[in-house]
Amino acid sequence: MKKVYVYKIFERFWHWMQALVILVLMVTGFEIHSTYNLLGYQTAVNVHNFSAWAFLVLIVFAIFWHFTTGEWRQYIPTTKLVKAQIDYYLTGIFKGAHHPTKKLVYNKFNPLQRMIYLGLKILVIPVQVISGFLYLYFHYPLKGLELDSLQTVAIFHTFGAFLLLAFVVVHVYLTTTGHKPLSAIKAMVTGWEEMDDETIHERMVDDIEIALLKTKSQYKAGEGKSEILDSALSKAQEKVGAVSCLKDNKFRDAIASSGVGYFCISKDGYYREVNDSWINLYRYDSQEEIIGKHYRLSRTDEDFAELEKSVARVLKGETINHGEVKRICKDGSFGYHTLTIAPVVTNGKIIAFEGFIIDTTDKLLAEKELLKKKLRVEEKLKNKKN
Amino acid sequence: MRKQISLILLLALFSLILNAQETTEDSVSSKIKVNNYVWKADRDLTNQANHSSFEILNQEFGSAHEVTEACLSCHTKRGEEIMATSHWNWQRSEMLAGKGVVPLGKKNILNNFCIGVSGSEGTCMRCHIGYGWKDKSFDFKDPKNIDCLVCHDNSGTYKKKKGGAGYPDESVDLGFVSQNVGLPKRENCGVCHFWGGGGNNVKHGDMEIALLDCSRNVDVHMTVEGEDMSCVDCHKTEKHKMTGKLYALSSENKDRATCAECHTGAPHQNETLNDHNTRVACQTCHIPIYAKVNSTKMIWDWSTAGILDEEGNPKHESDADGNHNYLSIKGNFVYNDHVIPEYYWFNGLANHQLITDKIDTIPLQMNTLYGSYKDKGRNQQSTEPSKIWPVKVHRGKQVYDTENMTLIQPKLWSKNKGDSAYWMDFDWNLANKAGMDYLNLPYSGKYDFVKTEMYWPLNHMVSPKEQALSCKDCHTRNNGRLASLTDFYLPGRDKNNYLDGFGIVLLALAFFGVLIHGSIRMVVSKKNKN
Repeated sequence: MKKVYVYKIFERFWHWMQALVILVLMVTGFEIHSTYNLLGYQTAVNVHNFSAWAFLVLIVFAIFWHFTTGEWRQYIPTTKLVKAQIDYYLTGIFKGAHHPTKKLVYNKFNPLQRMIYLGLKILVIPVQVISGFLYLYFHYPLKGLELDSLQTVAIFHTFGAFLLLAFVVVHVYLTTTGHKPLSAIKAMVTGWEEMDDETIHERMVDDIEIALLKTKSQYKAGEGKSEILDSALSKAQEKVGAVSCLKDNKFRDAIASSGVGYFCISKDGYYREVNDSWINLYRYDSQEEIIGKHYRLSRTDEDFAELEKSVARVLKGETINHGEVKRICKDGSFGYHTLTIAPVVTNGKIIAFEGFIIDTTDKLLAEKELLKKKLRVEEKLKNKKN
Repeated sequence: MRKQISLILLLALFSLILNAQETTEDSVSSKIKVNNYVWKADRDLTNQANHSSFEILNQEFGSAHEVTEACLSCHTKRGEEIMATSHWNWQRSEMLAGKGVVPLGKKNILNNFCIGVSGSEGTCMRCHIGYGWKDKSFDFKDPKNIDCLVCHDNSGTYKKKKGGAGYPDESVDLGFVSQNVGLPKRENCGVCHFWGGGGNNVKHGDMEIALLDCSRNVDVHMTVEGEDMSCVDCHKTEKHKMTGKLYALSSENKDRATCAECHTGAPHQNETLNDHNTRVACQTCHIPIYAKVNSTKMIWDWSTAGILDEEGNPKHESDADGNHNYLSIKGNFVYNDHVIPEYYWFNGLANHQLITDKIDTIPLQMNTLYGSYKDKGRNQQSTEPSKIWPVKVHRGKQVYDTENMTLIQPKLWSKNKGDSAYWMDFDWNLANKAGMDYLNLPYSGKYDFVKTEMYWPLNHMVSPKEQALSCKDCHTRNNGRLASLTDFYLPGRDKNNYLDGFGIVLLALAFFGVLIHGSIRMVVSKKNKN
């Protein structure tokens, strides 16, 4: 059981602001619909109109964020595992089965979520916004454009409201289907989600796989290293030995250029060796700056305590996929990466521990997604040729 | 980071609340912004000439005409001005849809109160600003016939004689009155405009003697507690031509006195309220009830008139409030006070049932008010969109010719019995014939009574803003003020039943689906633990 950083700061801000605004719009909107009396009609109208503008501003920021971070790709619909996901909600969940889809860094939504969220983004919310602003500004004449009657927009607007309300009910309920009933909500507040070891391993393997693919794409076909990568990749894809394959020296060099960082820390916690990627990720200028320093300096106190437990296990001989962790860079800024740690054994004794880090910050996500797509296309072309 | 987020969230909430309160903050006592208006405190009342010092007025006047001559000897062109007005002519050119331009006014129009003046001038012309209009022979060209005093008397002692065709009562000291003249006061206008239809507040419902000395609750403009405004403060007048019109008599959208003249088209701080003014008249919200002090006549049934007591004398019966509910000369009445207006779309254009027009709808509309939701000012002659107006509807039942299918102008009044006047002889056939003969119009000899409606858009008795209608008076599911205006979608009133039904089913599915799913999960997980 570990915590993994899933939701970025803006994402959480946006989510909760949106939740607040939709809640306010909902409460005031149904009062305007004369479903009940609560705030008073005039207050309801004023608050509703103000919230509409707040929502619009939020939407503009959210669109910007989705496109600049590449997060919009999270919403590309997929048919893969849709049936599995439905089966899970209908039966599997009662039998204590695991979620059929894992929360991966660049694929944090299950196929149903992708579909529903995309529907909200491109259908329900635009309909609400457009009908809402028509309702607000174009039902009186003398403004150039006017609606013949409010009836049509009112029907669209109310229809959208019912859909949203139903969504909120189901959405809130489904937050309880996480690892623990409140895990999902806690994750949406703090950004860190509790996940079981299996999921974390899956995330790790996935990251390695991506790193391997990336490395592979940097070598032209026919060059010697390709074979090493192919075997590593097939190992990784089998979901076993992904970590052990990283330990191969030749391989280690090969993947360094793909941005996978390597470190080796002595038994008592002092850096012995790091590669160039590691230095880049931590924003150091040279090896000298970090070698001999204690690894404590690159962790928050809280994370350090947790990491120490993992290290203790490694020093007993285990190999650990630590999942996602937060690093403190030289300049004090934060970054996120997946981490794997394994013991270094010399003459039958554990003298140090080493591992790989794969960056998971936003910029990489978009790159990875693009790459995946490119590789898929290449694969298809290959299949066609054959 | 987390602190920042919660700070932003708090700020957002705060601004929501502030925004909502913004509109309720301005206090009652603060002076509202107005244009084209001089506040009472800033008015200079000292420049009115003291007429008692004028020699020409220090005389024993032999007749009322001599007073007029004295006035016109100084106010030389004013006679011509007044003789061009509808106060003098009791008619003007009006464009009526389907009928073209017709001369129209109190002189020839029919209503569903006392029906019309023709043949009864002797009594009706007590409200004409002239002397001696007793029949068709009246000379509208003679300035000596103008009654300056009825409007300009500031002494409060002038009055016209009952049945005197506009001449003053013998008790009036013309010299004293002529020395005490000035701008018309509420009393001057009120003597006719409050008493139309034969009693106080009978016709308008929003104009009556209570306005002479009323509280703020009755009328915010005229109240002595406030600005104490007179009629002419709003009914601005140039060359004796007064603005403001009555759709009981007019049909065109011109020469109107409007709220916006002083209050502008956007007087509210709240934009949504200002937007409402595009389709809702100010009066609709700001005159929530009328007849706030004395009752006004709502129904007049002429068909029951003519029942005399055992001695053959006309009867007078009153209701519990002291209002007539039966008069032998007029029939049955229903009065009411604190009346909630009816609401109509109105674009400023009206039509009128002329005495020559055929009766084709029942109830017959005496003065159709034009307008609809769809009328946005483009397809009609009016350039402005129709607005929702508060209207007093006076419902009547009055005499008509069953053969010619036209309304009838009966002769009602005479000083003497045997002149065919209904109020003396109680014979409809005679009265109808005499009245129609007087107008040179046909009468078949067969009559009955037809239901009629007359529309009086309300303008006066503006309530304090705290008493103005609030959103829920109209934006409410059932029994709202606008329940009868069904030609448009009104938020809060209207809904699509299928859609709401679908919504409820959808929500029920979501709720119960979640409930059932959740319960099963809980039961299963307990079992698993055990």
